[in-house]
Amino acid sequence: MRSIPLLLLLTLLMTGLWSCNDRCQETRIVKRMTPVTVSLMEVRRNLKTEAPRALEHPGKIYVKGNYLLINEIKKGLHVIDNSNPAAPRFVSFINIPGNGDMAVRGNILYADSYTDLVALDITDPAKPQEVGRVDEVFKNGQFEGAWWSYNESVGAINDQKVEYITETINTNCEENPIMPEMWWLGGAWRMMDAAFSSAAAPSAAPGSSDGKGGSMARFALYNNFLYTVGQNNLHLFDISNPSKPTSFSTVNLGWGIETIFPYKDKLFIGSSTGMYIYDNSNPSDPKQLSVFQHMMACDPVVVQDNVAYVTLRSGTTCRNAQNQLDLVDISDLTRPRLIKSYPMQNPHGLSIDFPTLYLCEGKYGLKTFNVSDQFAVDKNMLSHMKDIDAYDVISLGKTLLMVGKDGFYQFDATNPRQLRQISKIPVGESTI
Amino acid sequence: MKKLLSLCMISLLATGLTLAQEVPFKRHYVNHTELGGLFGRVKYLPYAGATQVVENRLNLTLQTFNGMRINPRLSAGLTTGLDWYTTALITPIAAGARYDLAGKRNVRFFATADAGYGLVWFHEDNEGYRTQGGMMLNPGLGFRLGRPDGAAFTITLSYKRQEAFVTKPPLWDQTERFETREYNRMSLRMGITF
Repeated sequence: MRSIPLLLLLTLLMTGLWSCNDRCQETRIVKRMTPVTVSLMEVRRNLKTEAPRALEHPGKIYVKGNYLLINEIKKGLHVIDNSNPAAPRFVSFINIPGNGDMAVRGNILYADSYTDLVALDITDPAKPQEVGRVDEVFKNGQFEGAWWSYNESVGAINDQKVEYITETINTNCEENPIMPEMWWLGGAWRMMDAAFSSAAAPSAAPGSSDGKGGSMARFALYNNFLYTVGQNNLHLFDISNPSKPTSFSTVNLGWGIETIFPYKDKLFIGSSTGMYIYDNSNPSDPKQLSVFQHMMACDPVVVQDNVAYVTLRSGTTCRNAQNQLDLVDISDLTRPRLIKSYPMQNPHGLSIDFPTLYLCEGKYGLKTFNVSDQFAVDKNMLSHMKDIDAYDVISLGKTLLMVGKDGFYQFDATNPRQLRQISKIPVGESTI
Repeated sequence: MKKLLSLCMISLLATGLTLAQEVPFKRHYVNHTELGGLFGRVKYLPYAGATQVVENRLNLTLQTFNGMRINPRLSAGLTTGLDWYTTALITPIAAGARYDLAGKRNVRFFATADAGYGLVWFHEDNEGYRTQGGMMLNPGLGFRLGRPDGAAFTITLSYKRQEAFVTKPPLWDQTERFETREYNRMSLRMGITF
């Protein structure tokens, strides 16, 4: 008699067992790309100066005297009068389709516009005028991982529009379900997605009439040349007549080139696989001296005397890497040697004002280090601002410019232990 | 209405009295410690366009209930334990109750219920992952073998629901990635109570 309820229980167990399903849903925000075609005629027609507008998707920053240029990714440049850092003022917006980089010599601003290099006279920052253009020099490029290429036969750009969409899938409740996309594409994206990211460095550019860019810049000025790096080459433009740049030559480099950082008569070129050092004593013909290779990673580089500071980070665009700061001895430029590696949280851009090193840690904030002891950088952290998103930083000695996802900040860095915020331009607001 | 209520009260008191007369009841400490498995399945699409995959899941569960016998049938107290899901080690802290269903024999049925929150104190996350716990619910039935007033051996069958939330590092072209988990399991446990 007693076994009847027991049997009943067991039956219940059996039926119950197989209907118990774990339900796990993974939600992700995915970057989706849709192909679009833009004609070159359209691109060229649309270069014009417009009324100042709000920051939406700020990119690289560039400083020239009292003026700041903030790139609006793929759209153009915000011109900002920064003569009073406590109250920066938007002057104008230069609509440059397909723009990501810029450099300024004297009164001439060089900017890329998809395939073209344009020269603009910015004597009156409120009304920049196009003065020169080198047609169809860049054959491809990318913004936020979305590639564009030039279709010569029709004179158009095959571009991709980037959108962020939310998708939800059922998973097996384990940590890494296989992606619904084709998995092998992931690797390819990762390779190509050596995206615009961040970083900046001071290093006085040679020639006092030049502006100052970041260490993630793809444009550099030296003597009579403008150097621009593409995905696999270095392009030289002759700017002996600044308003009329001409294409001079092309040097082939390895694949995945990200940044160019000129220091003294050397060029430090950051790629997704390492750092190339070029001798630039003959500016018209840079010669490769060495390569410092590391794991695949994004690697903004800054240099001070005999030490190169290289950051590696993991994340969306630069996977497979550790999060670290490497100090590299470059006293022998043909043979760079690692001094020491320091683990970091998620290093992005960096900037040095020796002995102070400013390091952006993405959503973990901004860190300041004293790097005079190369073997104890981690023990000499001066400050850590945690409640900001730090993406890109440029040190101008007493002032520090920093851009994050939520806006553009300026700090008083007289005391590196105690950075004081002077002003902030939040994303989405154009007036201060 | 008042009449009905008072009637109820009287009958309740009466049953209480009769019970008290049968076994002189005294409040006392109760421990019920169990070890078992959490049985379940998961259905998912490994990639877009694939046929659905069904996998079995079996995980270890440990729990201990400590409470007071507050009347001859009911004990109430605190339940805590460890649930070792495949990628989450969860420590539930819950309010628990044990209620004897059938009378004074050596094999008796009882109902069990625990409700609370699963914490991730002992869970160690992979780099880039962050697991957070969630609500836990665990009702079931069991039977005990042993003298009514002494230590006994128990077998319990219950339904366990545990929620969790995991923030994951974004992959490839993603900017954000997280998962909501809902473990629905049939739990079979063996244990002792005294």
